[in-house]
Amino acid sequence: MSNKPDLLHGVPEIPAGSVPHANGCDQSCFLGERPDPLSYKEAIQTVKNWFRANSLWVIAYGTGCGSIELRPLGTARFDMERFGIAMRPTPRQSNVLIISGYLSIKSLKRVIRVYEQMPSPKWVVGLGSCTINGGMYWDSYATMKVLDLYLPVDVYIAGCMPRPEALIGGFKELMRMIKNGETKGYIDYIERLDWYRENQKQIIKDWDLPDYSW
Amino acid sequence: MTEQVTEKDVQLWVGPQHPGVTGNMSVQIWLRGDTIQMGRTHVGYLHRGFEKLMERRKFIQSFPIVCRICVPEPDTNEYLLAAGVEEIAGIVIPEKARWLRTLALEMARLAATLQALGGQVGMMGLGTVPNWTYTLRDYILDRFEELTGARIYHMYIVYGGVRRDLPEGFAARMEEDLRAIEERLPFIDNLIFDNAVFRKRAIGVGKIDPAWIDEMGITGPTARACGVPRDVRRNSPYLVYPELDFDVITAEGCDIFARAQVRRGDITQSIRIIRQILARMPKDGPYCARMPNMLHWTVEKGQTYVRAEASRGEMGYFVVTDGSDKLRRVHVRGPSYVHAVSLLERMLPGTNISDLGATMVSMQTCPPEIER
Amino acid sequence: MQTTLQALKNQFTVQWEKQQRADLHQVGLPREQTLAALTWLKEHTPFVQLTHMSVVDWIEEDQFQITYLLMNPRSYDLLMVCTRIARSGATMESVHKLWPQAVTYEQEMNEMFGVEFPGSPRQGESFILEGWEDIPPMRRDFDTVQFVLDHIPDRPGRLSINTREFIGRKVGEKRLLHD
Repeated sequence: MSNKPDLLHGVPEIPAGSVPHANGCDQSCFLGERPDPLSYKEAIQTVKNWFRANSLWVIAYGTGCGSIELRPLGTARFDMERFGIAMRPTPRQSNVLIISGYLSIKSLKRVIRVYEQMPSPKWVVGLGSCTINGGMYWDSYATMKVLDLYLPVDVYIAGCMPRPEALIGGFKELMRMIKNGETKGYIDYIERLDWYRENQKQIIKDWDLPDYSW
Repeated sequence: MTEQVTEKDVQLWVGPQHPGVTGNMSVQIWLRGDTIQMGRTHVGYLHRGFEKLMERRKFIQSFPIVCRICVPEPDTNEYLLAAGVEEIAGIVIPEKARWLRTLALEMARLAATLQALGGQVGMMGLGTVPNWTYTLRDYILDRFEELTGARIYHMYIVYGGVRRDLPEGFAARMEEDLRAIEERLPFIDNLIFDNAVFRKRAIGVGKIDPAWIDEMGITGPTARACGVPRDVRRNSPYLVYPELDFDVITAEGCDIFARAQVRRGDITQSIRIIRQILARMPKDGPYCARMPNMLHWTVEKGQTYVRAEASRGEMGYFVVTDGSDKLRRVHVRGPSYVHAVSLLERMLPGTNISDLGATMVSMQTCPPEIER
Repeated sequence: MQTTLQALKNQFTVQWEKQQRADLHQVGLPREQTLAALTWLKEHTPFVQLTHMSVVDWIEEDQFQITYLLMNPRSYDLLMVCTRIARSGATMESVHKLWPQAVTYEQEMNEMFGVEFPGSPRQGESFILEGWEDIPPMRRDFDTVQFVLDHIPDRPGRLSINTREFIGRKVGEKRLLHD
């Protein structure tokens, strides 16, 4: 394996100027005209984003007390499956990581592992005030205070604890961002991995994680 | 303990990221075939240092902290902190506050029991019952919202009484919700207790020895499922429980099935208690005693241990004050402390790996109260 | 309850005793006699169940108070046995042979207070914390705010309000002082 593996597998990155399906033949061949490569790429990207936004699979990892509101959200009354959001048991099948509330430093280590194991594209939702600035645990020796130093957060949902409606609002916002292609957190994490690692190692004292958890 | 494990055994971590684990904790198991040889519980993933934080907060500022110790059932924590400090300070709460506190405690017990019963069968792959019980629990949370202003963390019970009076028309709306719960209960009974899959996976699984109950201090539904009527509400009554009419539910079998039966009985009893409270509660009178200025309230030196029955077992608070305006020390004795660490490690040898989750959930483990 | 207390007083040096509630009695015992007294209580009295075990840090007196809470499973009475040990090099006899669940309590106290329980199986193993390098965090001389400022990055812009001044401005300082 090369030193810098392709961490962004799954992300459609078509080199600029190249014509998609240059050797094959797509529908445009029969129409006798070639689409503009840029708009073609954009159209594909839009369709992909639309699919992604409507099928968010959330990993079932309740890292803090906010996870108590995920269960009502998943069951009959609030029913998040109508938005295409479903709970998945393993990181390999999911693309949304909800940090539900405060994160103790012991948990942070596991969360980093979980996050890195998830396939791209992936998004992080920070739930509750304690992920934003420590909240009521600002003076606790055991919790981290700012989540976006350690993981690339796409959406924060404020509140202690946020109601299921607030969660739905957060998910809708995440969907909007995905559809517009505004969520670049997972690319940022790879590009600035050294910066994130430095922050993570600053508070995780006994660092024994691999270079990247595949 | 370690001699049961050889080098041939497979070591496996269940959790912290695992949908079958209750909350954020993990169990390390050693397997031979698919039989667990030994298990170790690992906690600390939810540690926030509450007991340390309370040492630097004023008395009244401790309430937002204690209610976060157990998420499904915060009111027990609020009551215990209030009761412990009131006992040391010698405050007597008004009659109406006693009834309102009991109401909050019993509603919390009902919500937590519904959640636990749904979680128990949901753990075994039966998704219908959680859909029902979580919705029913939401009805109770709606009433909590009306009563206290918050869905999950109520901070309703304060020193000297409670924060608010009962809203207008609360009893009627509560009665509506209780009826909705009662309507649904026969369906739940059918789907759980007459279900061949659940019976097969629950009867005779996760057994404990009744001799361990006194030895290890097992309480709550786990003890009552062995036919031992341990219930703090009856054995060491607090608030208005001695004036209420309710049964202590017991079952025989010491297994997961018996624990589910106890939970199911507890739901009926909680509904019964809530109805009695709403019918017999005094209509007027103060709901909070006259308290000194909370910003510089000091409590004399003393120490005490107060206990109450949570839905999982006996919850206790060891409260120490030193005459200043802050708590000296609070040590929380959660029922999960014994159940999920010592008892689970003792139950696991010989269990099949597929029963691990069901065994853990059947004791309704709440990890934050182990590590605070 | 009374017979047990009387027998305990006859057998051991009870330094102080207090009835906190009808079902809760507190006794203070010297450190050397504590293990013997607990063994005696478990074997000869109905107080057979260990409900709780705790440490309180009395830093002013340079002592740790170790508290054992025993329960009588028939009458549900509680007996709180307190003992004081020196704070520096704190060690205490382990009771894990009497009650198996005491291992967890002793492991936690060892980690959070630094009290040693020689002979207890999981001493020194990590229970809650991971990679902790500072002094045990539940000791009074551990300053959690200083630790956070030194080690854990915070988001700038946090506003701290002195409650006294804030409410004083709201309700008028005069009334506050008067109260």
